[in-house]
Amino acid sequence: MFAFVAQSPVMQLVEQFEAAARAAAARVDRVPRSADAIAAAVQRLEPGAKRIAIAEPMDVDAELFSACRRLPGAFSGGGKKEFAAADAGLTDVFAGVARTGSVCLDIDHEDAGYVSLLPRAHVAVLDSARIVARPADLFRPDVLGGAGLTRNFVFITGPSATGDMGELVRGAHGPHRIHVLVLV
Amino acid sequence: MSAPASNAQGAASESPRKFADKSAKGRLLAAIRMALRDESEAVHHNVQHHNAARYRAISLLPDYQQLKDRTRAIKEDAIERLPELIATVEAAVKRNGGHFHLARDAEDAARYTTEVCRRRGAKLAVKAKSMTTEEIGLNRALEAAGVEVVETDLGEFIIQIADEQPSHIVGPALHYSPERIRALFQRVFKTTEQLESGEELTRFARERLREKFLAAGAGISGANFVCADSGTIALVENEANIRASCILPPLHIAIAGVEKVIPSRKELAPFVELLAASGTGQPLSVYTSIFSPPLKAPLLDAPNASREFHLVLIDNGRLRMREDPQLREALYCIRCSACLNSCANFQSVGGHAFGGATYSGGIGGPWEAGTRTLEHGRFSELCTGCSRCLPNCPVRIDIPWLNIVLRQRLNQKDASAGAKMLEAVMPGLPREDGAAPLSKIFFGHYDLFGRWGSRMAGLANRMGKLGASRALMEKVVGLDRRRALPPFAARTMAELCRAERPAPIEPARARVVLFADVFTNYGSPCRGLATLRVLRSLGVDVVVSDSLPDGRAALSQGLIATATQQARRAAELLRDYVANDRDVVIVEPSVLATFRLDLGRLFPDDAGRKLFEQLRTCCFDSAEYVWRLAQRERLDAARQFPAHRLQLGTRLFYHSHCQQKTVGAATATEELLRACGFDVVTSQVECCGMAGSFGYKKDFYDLSMNVGSYLFKQVEEAERDGKRVLVATGTSCQEQLHQGLSRTVYHPMDLLAEIAQPLMLSS
Repeated sequence: MFAFVAQSPVMQLVEQFEAAARAAAARVDRVPRSADAIAAAVQRLEPGAKRIAIAEPMDVDAELFSACRRLPGAFSGGGKKEFAAADAGLTDVFAGVARTGSVCLDIDHEDAGYVSLLPRAHVAVLDSARIVARPADLFRPDVLGGAGLTRNFVFITGPSATGDMGELVRGAHGPHRIHVLVLV
Repeated sequence: MSAPASNAQGAASESPRKFADKSAKGRLLAAIRMALRDESEAVHHNVQHHNAARYRAISLLPDYQQLKDRTRAIKEDAIERLPELIATVEAAVKRNGGHFHLARDAEDAARYTTEVCRRRGAKLAVKAKSMTTEEIGLNRALEAAGVEVVETDLGEFIIQIADEQPSHIVGPALHYSPERIRALFQRVFKTTEQLESGEELTRFARERLREKFLAAGAGISGANFVCADSGTIALVENEANIRASCILPPLHIAIAGVEKVIPSRKELAPFVELLAASGTGQPLSVYTSIFSPPLKAPLLDAPNASREFHLVLIDNGRLRMREDPQLREALYCIRCSACLNSCANFQSVGGHAFGGATYSGGIGGPWEAGTRTLEHGRFSELCTGCSRCLPNCPVRIDIPWLNIVLRQRLNQKDASAGAKMLEAVMPGLPREDGAAPLSKIFFGHYDLFGRWGSRMAGLANRMGKLGASRALMEKVVGLDRRRALPPFAARTMAELCRAERPAPIEPARARVVLFADVFTNYGSPCRGLATLRVLRSLGVDVVVSDSLPDGRAALSQGLIATATQQARRAAELLRDYVANDRDVVIVEPSVLATFRLDLGRLFPDDAGRKLFEQLRTCCFDSAEYVWRLAQRERLDAARQFPAHRLQLGTRLFYHSHCQQKTVGAATATEELLRACGFDVVTSQVECCGMAGSFGYKKDFYDLSMNVGSYLFKQVEEAERDGKRVLVATGTSCQEQLHQGLSRTVYHPMDLLAEIAQPLMLSS
């Protein structure tokens, strides 16, 4: 049923992912695989951020977050108050979904669940090699080592939102903005 | 606690709570009046938005039908194996370090949850939206035990502070306009803050709720799916309040109906792709969380404390529904709300009228009946059987059928003395239907009244106009006196067609039997004659069948036994023609739907299923048949039926019948008319509101006209640049348009018969 999935070339998936994520009001930037490039992107995307919560990465090389740790206001660990007061949170994600523009985040890996939830903005780092075609792929044992069948995770598709107060409002109980840095 | 709502612009003058329980008969009518007055506008705006978004989202799923086959098969299997799966999930949750409780009923579930909070010392619980906890009245139980409960979904937050029941299973407060939310916040929170935009209202609520999230001792969620083998739960949302409720407090209690259990995580795949698309019309909701609690992530501010998780699965009538051969299907529901959003009546009144204390819309009746009592499903009377929910349900639940079954069961309870007398007059009436209320029997027997009315057309039509007789009809059978009755024709379709000299057909391009359905035969015989002429103009050998009731009218009133009897006779009649190499052409779309859809339900035995299969693929709508024939024979529609020859003009407004859309016969009419050279604007409403006999009933006249008003508005918009000829396929749609706009309404065949040219074969 999903046989066509595996053959799609990576860049085609990246392009599809970018278009879908933007349609879901996420911002997407392609970034080279370097610690400095990621730190520069965070500063460019959230220029006013005074407090930046950083979660230990799980699926991208930890070294890639090293320059971000040196940004002014960057911190790891902390309590509810610290995370809730942060302007931005930085995490990695273990998968992207081309059709929907979603990213998949492991909510059970140390502070990643909080860092992606409580700060005003969320910056998610995604390896372009980990983009799958459609949501259903996450439930296949042969895709990403069956990560979607075993991990505790969340598909995130755009910033938190509500339509309950009339028009669509972006920024409900979770982040008001989400930026995806696609490592190419 | 607060000042009277004198400044509360638009605040409802009656609390919807008064009408939550509609088990008593008059309640439904009072609720419809309230909803039309106070809530209709906001409901229509929001529900229409979801409806349009769903059509867009599913158009982007290339394997939509296969996904639905898959979800249906998974649910059928899971409900079949439910006791086994419940045992499996219990073991999995315990293996993961969580606790499990299977609650018999609402009271049991509330008691268990309250006790867990008490033991853990939780004084404040943040709650994610969950219809199941609405069903069991959890908030009242927790509050009685001294636990503060805060609804954190912004829609639930609104109805919690307003003390109302949800009006929609996904958007519980979508009957609220921003103006009314502002008035509510100002009244309840006594605030003078600027609350103009949705942005400001959201910020106001968010700030209050964030404090609660950070302080809560317990988080209570539902679960969209529960995976048996791993104890995984899946939760779908946009606001992030569910994520926060599950991850921040040390105690997490997930409460779900037993029907939410599926075998394993891999079965989540088709549901994840269909749920949001079918509900809010998003490709995916903002957050789809999939995890096996308790989480391992350390608790903030208490890294050494351990997390506690409880899965509470609730029976509360579900296992009884599982044993019910008809209601079992309702357990496949994944609460996406597509059936609410695609329902014309729901769009006009929302779930405070078309709903019970918890569940609403077409699927709501079976659920309220299943989890409470049959009478609590009485609002299912608002299901007209228009069938627009059917192709939109992601698990293919036959919701109209479930509501017909409820109607049948309620008929038995509501048996009237008048009906018993009628039984003597109508000896053919099956015993089980004979007890139904008089009104149901009247509207269920169009064939009898049609035959009588046609024989004595002069008298019948005069009576239909006389004030005294109309007052009597209103009182006795509930026929609204404001409705003009469609006149009975003095000559039936069968008689008109017989008088038509058959044109020589050599050689015949096709062989057809034109079914003299009762609505066309007695009510609109000219459409039938026009169809005959159009078909003959194309060289088709046409015979006209006897007129027999097909069961549609009886079915709509819940008279299932009568409908089955009638449908079988009609099906057997048509089968003989089909066996003789004739296709069947049917003028009235609701009758076409009987043969394409309903026979499968009415004839569950093997012989019946075979009969259904024989007919299903041989029955066609009139325009659909003409269009197929034209394509097959490479006929040039613009030459056979040149639009410019129509004296009325070439600009049309076309409204297709609801069931015609469902059986896939609506677009062919548009294509044919365009191919002839007509300029066609198509209505974008799900249903005209008349829906067979529904709009003729006194109880539902205002609702029917409200639904119709959206169709009338579309005509008005389409005619900004000049008049259009009104075209509709269904008899009742034609009447609704005719009465609403005081204009003549044509059937597509009426137009084509006017302009038909001699057969010209392509070279």
